[in-house]
Amino acid sequence: MKTIIELNINDEVFEMVIEPRTTLLEVLREHLAFTGTKEACGTGECGACTVLIEGKPKLACLTLAAECANTRITTIEGLVHDGQLTPVQQAFLEKGAVQCGFCTPAMVLTATALLEENPNPTEYDIKKALEGNLCRCTGYNKIMEAIREAAKSGESARNRK
Amino acid sequence: MRLPKFQLLQPKSVEEAADLLTKHEKSTRIMAGGTDILPRMKYGLESPEFVVGLSNLPVRKPRDSDGTLVLDALMTLSDVAQNEIIQKNALVLAEAAHAVGSYQIRNMGTLGGNLCQETRCSYYNQSHGYQFVEPCFKRNGDQCYFIPKGKKCWAILMSDIAPALFSLGASVEVVSNGRLDRTPIDRIYTKDPLHPIDLSKRQLLVAITVPRKSGLCGSAFAKFTVRGGLEFAAINIAVVLQVKEDGLTCSNARISVGAIAAAPIRLEKVESMLAGQKLSRDLFNDAGLMAADEITPIPHHGFSMSYLKVCLRSIARDALALAYSRIACH
Repeated sequence: MKTIIELNINDEVFEMVIEPRTTLLEVLREHLAFTGTKEACGTGECGACTVLIEGKPKLACLTLAAECANTRITTIEGLVHDGQLTPVQQAFLEKGAVQCGFCTPAMVLTATALLEENPNPTEYDIKKALEGNLCRCTGYNKIMEAIREAAKSGESARNRK
Repeated sequence: MRLPKFQLLQPKSVEEAADLLTKHEKSTRIMAGGTDILPRMKYGLESPEFVVGLSNLPVRKPRDSDGTLVLDALMTLSDVAQNEIIQKNALVLAEAAHAVGSYQIRNMGTLGGNLCQETRCSYYNQSHGYQFVEPCFKRNGDQCYFIPKGKKCWAILMSDIAPALFSLGASVEVVSNGRLDRTPIDRIYTKDPLHPIDLSKRQLLVAITVPRKSGLCGSAFAKFTVRGGLEFAAINIAVVLQVKEDGLTCSNARISVGAIAAAPIRLEKVESMLAGQKLSRDLFNDAGLMAADEITPIPHHGFSMSYLKVCLRSIARDALALAYSRIACH
């Protein structure tokens, strides 16, 4: 049975028609064309569908849209402000951490959340935070370099001044 | 991958949730974080008519009740891993929570949900729509693919939290018929892979209680995996060690091994061997060898029994040494 729900995505409120079975991933990609969030496995084993909910990385493929009322959702589309990339995004570009790019939105969001929670992560902290984000192209080395670089920048990972 | 159709019920209180479970007992499943049940529904392994989603229930902060730590079952695994009270008084539980899944899964999955997770098997946890396959015991069929001529199910409880709670001597608080009952954690597991936890459809797990340990105590959790992350354990172990005032003689050891049966297993022989002994690295080595002899790990997910025994020898030795090194007098 369809119901109407208000979802706050990237600081914009959308009124959506959903069923209980509708996942947040479906709403983002199919209903709202926020296609930066990807579906790869659909079962929680790859991390490609990562979004931030109240700033915390979560899997949109396993989140029911119906349970997202009154929460603030951030997708990769919501990171860029006035055309300016965030330090994490800039570092990914500079370090060559993007090949096919499929894992990248999720990697960037997870790394952003990590650096907000822990601005000086150890190697272990970075690996632990990114363990749920798989990449088939890069072998992870450049991604790690990019995150270390972004951490060094010292600015809040999300915003440029 | 799409979910099947279902009706979502979203109670705002434990009482409302318990009422809904009683009312819709027949085809209802509970959903906390959703990381266990939703993949199974996507694979077509479960299709409940009603899903009772608990995300609107209030989550109480950890509190002390007469020396017992009471933890809300809906605490996320991230919150359990990072909570200072838990780190100070039940470090093995914080470590176990930190070992689960991934950053995302830890932000969604809950303490209670991890305990109530379904048992797993590589032949069961996959989609079955692409070829004609006779259902196994766990799919209400009459055969097993893991043991082809087997007469029973061999699915495994992969929980990291369960062995930690076994070693802590924890209990669970369950609401049923308006009553709140507290049961020791080892009595809530049935050891039956088809029905691993002794909770009826009408019951709701609401809290986990951990008794305070008196005296000098150290604990550690270890999880052996192939990739090092985003993995269920090949085998895991939770150790809680108590020593006498000399800081050297073991007064009590509780060691639980998980991911190798339908419920965690206590290493009672190793525990007895350690009690009263002066602890040392050599002794932990012996304990590891003894552990591998004491239990018969059920092979699973591609790991053979002999491989699991070899893993157990080292994680038992190392977890004991780590738990000992954490005892406050050092």
